Amino acid sequence: MTASATKRNAKFPSQSALAKTFHWVNIIALLLMMASGLQIYNANPVFGGRAGWDFPELVLLGGWLAGGRAWHFAIMWVYSLNLLAYGVFVFVTRRWQHRFASSGDLKALRASQNEKRKNFAKHRLVYTAIVPVLLLAIASGLAMYKPAQLHWLAALFGNWQTLRTVHFLTVPIVLAFSLVHSLLALKVGNLRLIKSMFV
Amino acid sequence: MGLILPPSLSRRRLLIGAGLSGAGLLLNGCGTSLGSRRVGQLTEPLNQAIEQLLLSQSPVPEFPISAIQPDQLLINTFDETPQLDPEQFRLVVDGEVNQPMQFSLADLQALPFKDMVIRHVCVEGWAAIVQWGGVQLQTLAQLVQPKAGVRYVFFTSADGYYESWDLASSLHPQTLMVYQKNGQPLSVDNGAPLRLASPIKLGYKQSKWVTQITFMNELRPRLGYWEDRGYEWFAGL
Repeated sequence: MTASATKRNAKFPSQSALAKTFHWVNIIALLLMMASGLQIYNANPVFGGRAGWDFPELVLLGGWLAGGRAWHFAIMWVYSLNLLAYGVFVFVTRRWQHRFASSGDLKALRASQNEKRKNFAKHRLVYTAIVPVLLLAIASGLAMYKPAQLHWLAALFGNWQTLRTVHFLTVPIVLAFSLVHSLLALKVGNLRLIKSMFV
Repeated sequence: MGLILPPSLSRRRLLIGAGLSGAGLLLNGCGTSLGSRRVGQLTEPLNQAIEQLLLSQSPVPEFPISAIQPDQLLINTFDETPQLDPEQFRLVVDGEVNQPMQFSLADLQALPFKDMVIRHVCVEGWAAIVQWGGVQLQTLAQLVQPKAGVRYVFFTSADGYYESWDLASSLHPQTLMVYQKNGQPLSVDNGAPLRLASPIKLGYKQSKWVTQITFMNELRPRLGYWEDRGYEWFAGL
């Protein structure tokens, strides 16, 4: 490897193949889960029941309730196994120690005068905070999918309406997160950083 | 009204489904009912295996009487509501059994009464906490004595609805043939004189107006009214 190539590698952000794969699979799986989930939502809107507002066909997947369920309960494996594999990867490579938010980031947000350092901290905080939401989507989904056999899990959410609401709210939260995550990545590392995660 | 009906696959709808929808752009037509059915067929065997693994014969924890939600239980039927004379009503229990039997409503009411306060979960997404009272299906099974090879149970309803269950779910202690709801005699809309009720299956598995219970070694080509239109067969909760 020549000196100039080393220099370029240092200058351009690079991501591990596993992090890239996780991002690709996660983004596609989440889109399919949201579209099929909204199809299921429409069968009996969480807000308002049968008289409630429903989502336009444009954002749905499955064609009807049974189709939405077929997609949702197929892609749930892709979504959750991808998340599990990434979790194992983050744990084994100890990335959680240096790639996710730490007390140093909180300190930087409060005390640092360096705008760049603050944005960096903000970004790490945001993408760390989505992890529990992604897990909550699985937990609330499982509780609704198997409320009898996993009654202890369903009971954690109180009543059925709360459970449905929590599961549904993961959709707008994930959408808002994706927007903020992308904007902060742009701010921290320009388009090059975003590109490095996908190509 | 029934469960949400399958869309007629008109040309316009196909075009919308395939070309315009957000996910449709990505999938080019997989969003239609037919494509979805294929997707479901890929993972349903795995999902069913896990549902069977999760199924336990111990009772699902029940709710207090005060938790009952009388207004939450919506009425779903696929066709019309049959009016059965409770005096003339007979439940036939037959199939691969040593002792096929017929029960009048009075016969059933003379059998040990069992009630439960459970969550009734509809495939549409709503749920209601309901008290059901009647007789355990395992009590009826003990009377007719299914033969050794029995693995499934078929339920025939007066309105033409039909369902089939796995034997383990059918013999679960909370799988009941009920004639009582929330402490009152079952109403015709809810399936009187006799319906199936259980906390371990989705609502569409819980046939109303049941007139015949048939123990079987193998499944029939007709699995169930909604299953034959694309819904999951096991539908365990």
